[in-house]
Amino acid sequence: MDNKKKYWKGLAQLNDDPKIKKLAENEFSEHLPLDKFLGDKEISNMSSSRRDFLKFLGFSTAAATLASCEAPIIKSIPYVIKPDEIIPGVANYYATTIYDGRDYGSVLVKTREGRPIKIENNKGCTNARIQASVLSLYDSARLRHPLKKNKKISWRNLDKEIKLALKNLDNDKKIVILSSTLISPTQKKLIKEFGGEYNNVEHIMIDSIPYDGILNANQSTFGIRALPKYKFDKTNVIVSFGADFLANWGSNEYSEDYVKARNPKSGKMSKHYQLESNLSLTGSNADKRIKIKPSEQGYLISNLLEGINGGNVDDRLKKILSDLMSNKGNSIVLSDSNDENIQLIVNEINTQLSNYNQSIDINNPNYLRQGDSSKMKELLFDMSSGNIGALITYNVNPAYSLVQSDKFIEGLSKIEIKIANSLYHDETAVLMDYVCPINHDLESWGDANPSLGEYSLKQPTIAPLFDSRQFEESLLVWTNRSDYYNYLKNFWKNKNVNWDKALHDGYFNLEENITLKTNSFKGKLISKKANEGLELVVYEKIGVGDGTQANNPWLQEFPDPITRTCWDNYITISPRTAKKLNLKNWNVSNGALNGDLVDLTAKNINLKSLPILIQPGQMEDTIGVAVGYGRTSSGKAANNLGFNAFPLLDTKLVSINKVEGEHEFASIQLHHTMMGRDMVKETTLSDYIKNPSSGNYREKYYTYKGKLPSDKVTLYDSHDLETGHFWNLSIDLTSCIGCGECVIACQAENNIPVVGKEEVRKSRDMHWMRIDRYYSSEMTKEIGKEKDISAIEMYADMEVPSDNPEVVFQPVMCQHCNHAPCENVCPVAATTHSNEGLNQMTYNRCVGTRYCANNCPYKVRRFNWFQYSENDQFDFNMNDDLGKMVLNPDVVVRSRGVIEKCSMCIQKIQELKLNAKKTGTTISDEEAQTACTSICSTNALVFGDSNNKNSEVAKLREDERAYDLLDHLNVRPSVFYQTKIRNKS
Amino acid sequence: MTINFRVYFRFIVLSVFYFASIFLYADNVENGEKIYKQNCTACHLMTKARLVGPGLEGVTEKYEKEWLIKWIRNSQALIASGDERAIAIFEEYDKSVMTSFDFSDEEFSDLLAYLANPPVEEVVVSSGVQTVENQGMSNSTILMIIALVLVTVVFLLVSVKNSLKTALGKETETVSQTLINKYKLFVSNNINVLFISAVGLIVGLKFVYDLLMGVGVTTNYQPAQPIAFSHEIHAGINGVDCNYCHTSARHSKHSGIPSANVCMNCHTYISEGSKYGTKEIAKIYEAVGFDPDSRQYIEGYEQKPIEWVRIHNLPDHAYFNHSQHVVAGGLECQECHGPVEEMEVLYQYSELTMGWCIECHRETEVKMEGNNYYTHLHDQLKEKYKGKPITVDMIGGIECGKCHY
Repeated sequence: MDNKKKYWKGLAQLNDDPKIKKLAENEFSEHLPLDKFLGDKEISNMSSSRRDFLKFLGFSTAAATLASCEAPIIKSIPYVIKPDEIIPGVANYYATTIYDGRDYGSVLVKTREGRPIKIENNKGCTNARIQASVLSLYDSARLRHPLKKNKKISWRNLDKEIKLALKNLDNDKKIVILSSTLISPTQKKLIKEFGGEYNNVEHIMIDSIPYDGILNANQSTFGIRALPKYKFDKTNVIVSFGADFLANWGSNEYSEDYVKARNPKSGKMSKHYQLESNLSLTGSNADKRIKIKPSEQGYLISNLLEGINGGNVDDRLKKILSDLMSNKGNSIVLSDSNDENIQLIVNEINTQLSNYNQSIDINNPNYLRQGDSSKMKELLFDMSSGNIGALITYNVNPAYSLVQSDKFIEGLSKIEIKIANSLYHDETAVLMDYVCPINHDLESWGDANPSLGEYSLKQPTIAPLFDSRQFEESLLVWTNRSDYYNYLKNFWKNKNVNWDKALHDGYFNLEENITLKTNSFKGKLISKKANEGLELVVYEKIGVGDGTQANNPWLQEFPDPITRTCWDNYITISPRTAKKLNLKNWNVSNGALNGDLVDLTAKNINLKSLPILIQPGQMEDTIGVAVGYGRTSSGKAANNLGFNAFPLLDTKLVSINKVEGEHEFASIQLHHTMMGRDMVKETTLSDYIKNPSSGNYREKYYTYKGKLPSDKVTLYDSHDLETGHFWNLSIDLTSCIGCGECVIACQAENNIPVVGKEEVRKSRDMHWMRIDRYYSSEMTKEIGKEKDISAIEMYADMEVPSDNPEVVFQPVMCQHCNHAPCENVCPVAATTHSNEGLNQMTYNRCVGTRYCANNCPYKVRRFNWFQYSENDQFDFNMNDDLGKMVLNPDVVVRSRGVIEKCSMCIQKIQELKLNAKKTGTTISDEEAQTACTSICSTNALVFGDSNNKNSEVAKLREDERAYDLLDHLNVRPSVFYQTKIRNKS
Repeated sequence: MTINFRVYFRFIVLSVFYFASIFLYADNVENGEKIYKQNCTACHLMTKARLVGPGLEGVTEKYEKEWLIKWIRNSQALIASGDERAIAIFEEYDKSVMTSFDFSDEEFSDLLAYLANPPVEEVVVSSGVQTVENQGMSNSTILMIIALVLVTVVFLLVSVKNSLKTALGKETETVSQTLINKYKLFVSNNINVLFISAVGLIVGLKFVYDLLMGVGVTTNYQPAQPIAFSHEIHAGINGVDCNYCHTSARHSKHSGIPSANVCMNCHTYISEGSKYGTKEIAKIYEAVGFDPDSRQYIEGYEQKPIEWVRIHNLPDHAYFNHSQHVVAGGLECQECHGPVEEMEVLYQYSELTMGWCIECHRETEVKMEGNNYYTHLHDQLKEKYKGKPITVDMIGGIECGKCHY
C-alpha cells in the first residue's frame, strides 16, 4: 500500500506558501549578494586592475608560504609526578551521580587527562540536560570565590562571620534552610545536625515546578508524600491528563519502560491516550491524542471515575473507559494537575482499576519531588512579619522561579543574615549578604536516594575549578567540623555498605520497606465543565527546563522537538485561535520565521510584547508558555533571552492583545526540507500483525526486465562491503520518542560548535544530527472511504488537519551512502568511502566548494561559514578557555570554510577496533556504540557491524520493517529506518 | 738506502705494535666504562665523594686487584671470612650491603682497568644550544677548493698558451678574451643552448619542487632541550628499555614524555652524570623538589614541570596512535625514530609526512597470525587477494578517515 498521507513541517508548507516552495528548491536559503557587489559602480572605478590583483595574489601567496616555513617551537610538558591512574591519551571513566534538584542520573563520566568531557549512562537513563551538564561544569559565569555584599571575601572570614551571626540571633527568630528537593541522606542528616547546633532551624524544600497536588494526594491516600513508581513496561493502557512524562513530568526514567511495552514484534503495544492542551512530546507519541482545555481536566477525570463506577461518560472518554475496564491492573492513569483534589480522584481511579501494586508501585516511592509550597507560603509570611533571623538558600533561585518572587525579594530586607549557596551569582544570590559558591556535581562527593532502596554515590571527576566548596562541607564547617568525604564514607560504612564496590559501581541497593496507611477516598467530584476565555498552560522545554542550566549554550541551541525553535520562549497558540485574534507567523525572504507580538494580561500580571508561535495541535482558546527563560543574572548565553514565565505559574485565565512589532525566531522548522519526498513510512499495529512489511512500500522502476526495485537497477560498481566490518545504524521510528538527548550527546562527542541565534535563523545550525518532526493529518482517503464520509466532508477535514495532527520524529544524520552522491562531486576527493561502509569527510582536504552539500539528498552536510572557535563573534564555549576544556581531544575542531557531517563516531570505531587488535579479541556487539546509540534510553538507535550475523543491527537489517530513507534514489545508505507503527486499534 | 729502509721498516712495525696495544688497552677501558655505567653509578661516584657507597677515585691503588674482585663478587662472604678491611668498610657505611656482581674475569679486569684510568672530565662550556654539525659545509668547502684549483689551472693554461704564442710570434689573448671567444663559439650552436636550457630548467624545477616539498618537513630537527638529556647514555650504554620511560606508548596514542618522577626512579641515587656532572641532573631535582645533599624530597615545594621542546609534531588534523603501531603492528621504535640509542641529542629521524606514512602502509604486511581479531578477516582477505601478502592498505590503512577525523 502506498502511503498517500501528506506530511508537512509547518503551516506555511501545508498552505503551499510559494515562498516556502521556492526555498525548498534552493539549497541555501539566502543568495550571496554578488549582483549587488558587482553592480557597485565604485568597483569599476577603482584603480587596482586585474594585474594588480594578480600581484596581490602572488605577494600574499609568497608571504604565506614564507610565513609557513618557520615552524613554531612547541613545548611538551609532562606531569612532574604522574598520577597512577592517568595514561595521557586514554580515557578514564568514573561512576557518579548528577542531581541538580530536578534531573537525576546515575552516570559514567568520561575524563581525559583529568577533564570530564562526556557523560554516559550508568544505571537507568539520562536526558538532554544531564548530557549537557558537563558543559555547565565549565561555565565561565560560575561563581569563582565567596562573596560578602557582592565583594570578595575569604572562606575563613566568611565562616567566622556566619557562625558568629547565627549564634547571635534572637532565640525567637528562625533560621531557615531553603533548598531544592534533596535526595541525599547525608545532606539531610547534616541539616538535622545543623539544627542541633543552632536554635530554631527549619528546613524547607521547594520545586521550581511544584508537585504539591500529587504529593499531598498520595499523603492523604497512602500516607506517603512521594511519587509512586510507574511501571510503564507492565502497562497495556496509559491515560495521561496533561502529564508530559516522556519529557519533564516526574522523573526522567519513564521513557525506557514506556518503549519496552511498545514493541510491535511482541504483537502487543500499550495504548496511550493523551488528553492535553499544549502539544507535548508525550502527546506527540500518543496513539490517541485528545485536545482539552486545562479547566476541563477536573471534570473529565471526575467523569472517568463515574464511568468506572458505572455512570455515563463524556463521548471523548468512551473508548478510554472501555480500554481501561478491560485492562484492570495493567493500566496507568495520571495527571499533571497541581490540584490535590484532582489527584485524589486520579488515585481513586487507579485504586478502582486495581492498578496499585501492579502497574503502579506505591510501595516503591520515588523521592525526586518533595517540595512543599505551603511551607514556602508560611516562609513568605514569616519573612514579611520579620520572624526570620537567617535564610540559607541552597540550589534554589526563588527570586527568579517563585510566583511571588516580588514578595520574596521584599521579605529579604527584613532578614538579618542571608546566605546563598549557589553555582551562579543568580537572581537570588545577588540579593544575599553572603554568597558561598558550591561545587558542580562533577566536582563533588555525595550520595543520592532517588527511590526506595536505591542509592547512588557521587564522586568528584575533577578538582574544583574555582574557590568553591560544596554545601555539605559548609554545613560541617558551620557546625565546627570538616571533611565531608570521611563523613560520607563513615556514614555508609556504618550501614555496612561496601564502600569501594559502591563507589566503583556508582550505585547500590538496600533492603527497605515502608508501611502505607491507606485511607478511603475523600475527593470531591467536579462537575464544572470548561471555563470560557483564553486559558494558559505553563510548560518546560526539554532543553532549558526550569532554567537552572539556562546559561548552557548547547541547551539554548537545542531545538525544541515540537516547535523546532531554539534560543527563545514564546506563546504557543492554535492556528484557529490565532486566526480569530488575527495573529500571524510568516517567513521572511531568507526563510526565517517571524511572528506577531502580543501583550499578555492576567490578574496582577502584565507582560509586554511577547512573541506568538502558531502551534498545530494546541487546544483552541489556550496558550502555552515555557519557563526557564527571561534570566537576568545567569551569564552571557542566557541573559535577556525570552521572558520569565514563572510568575504565570498559578495563572489560569489570560487575555492577549496584538501589539505593534514583530519577533524573529531562530527556528529550524523550515530548514533542510526533504523537498516533499516520502521519507516516513508508517503503518498500524493491526496491519503490521497481518503483514510485517505493511507500510514499507518500495518504489519500483520499469526496466526491460520488468518492474524492479531500485537496488536491482544501478550503474555503479558496488564497494566490497562483505570483507571486514560493515558499520550500520538502525533507527526505529516506533521507539524514537524525539527527546533529542542524542543531539546533545553528538554535540559533546564531536566538538560541534554553537553558532547562535542569528546564524540559526540563516539555516546555518551545525548539529550533525537533527530530529525532523513531521505532522500528518488524521484524515486520509482510505479512512474517508472506510467511514463513508462524504467527499466534501473528507476534504474539509484534510484542509484543517493541523488542529490535532499526528506527529512523527525522525532522527536524520549522514546516511553514509554506499553509492554516495556527495563523493562523486567533490573536486578534491575530500569526501571518500571507507571499506567499512562509512562516508568519510577529510576536513584538511576540503576546499569548501559545497558541491557535496548541494548534492546530498538528505541535507545533512554542514558548512563552517565562520571560524566558530576562538572567535569573539561567536562568544560561546569555544571562545572561552574554560569552555574549551569540554572538547574531545580525539576529534578535530573544524576551521572556517570546510564541510562537516556525522562521521558515525569514527573515533569510537577506531578505538574499538584498536583495542580488539591489541588484545587479540573479536569485537562484541555491545561494545560497538556511537555517541547517539550509547545514550538512547529507548534503544531506538542501534549501531553495529552488519557483517557480524549475530549482531542486533544485522538482524534489524533483515527485518521486514527496515527501509532506506528515499530508497528510490538507490544511494544504499548504511543507515536505515524501521517503519513507524501506531496502535490504532 | 738499505739501512734507511730497515730503520724505516722497524719503525713501522714498532709503531703498529704500539698503537695496537694502545688500541687494545683502550678497548678494555671502554668495556670497563660500560660495565661501570651499567652497574655501579647508582651507588658510586668517580670522585672521592660518598654517595650510597664510597667514591671510587684511587680505589685500585688503595686495594689490590684480587681483593677488589672478591669484594665485588660477594662482599658479604668476604666480611664473613673475617677480612678486617672488609669489616671496616661495612661498618663505615652503616652496614649497607653491596649488591653482588658475578662478572667474568675478563670483565673484572676491564672494569678495574677503567677504575684505574678514569677519563678526564670534560669541561663543559655551555649546555645550551647545540647546533647540528652541518654536513654540507665541508662539502661546499671542498667544492670551493676545487673551483679555485680549476680557476688557477685556467690561468696557468692561458699563460702557458700565451707564452707559447709569444714564442711563435702570434697575437696573445687575455684570459677574458679567451673565455668570451669560447663562449661565443659554444652559443653559436643552437643544440648547445637547448641542452643547457633544458638542463637548467630541470635542475631549477627540481630545486623549486624540493624547496616546496620541504616546507613544514622538519627532518633532522634537533632543538635544544631544557635538560641536556642523552638518549645515547640512557638507551644505548645503559640499555634502558624505551618503554621504561615512554610507558604510554603501549597503551595510548601518545608515547608519553616521562614525568619527572620516572627520572627519579634512578636519579634518586644517581646525582652525577658522566658528561655534565651534577649540573643537568640537578634540573630534575629542581623540578620535583629534591635535595641531593639530604636525599630527601623538600616538603611543600612548588614543583616546576620540565618544559621539553617537542620534536615530533604531527599536525592537529592527523590522528596517530603509538599503541596501534607498537602493540597491534609490532613495530620497533627505531623503525620510525631511527637509532635513538646512538643519539646524544635527539633529532627527528623520519620525515613524518603523509607520503612517508602511506609508503609504509603500502609495504608493511599486517601481522595477523595469532590475533583472534583478524582470524575471520584474514580468511576473507586471503581469498580476495589470492595469496598476495596482506599489507596495511588492503585493510583500509590508507583511507582518509582512518587518520583524519
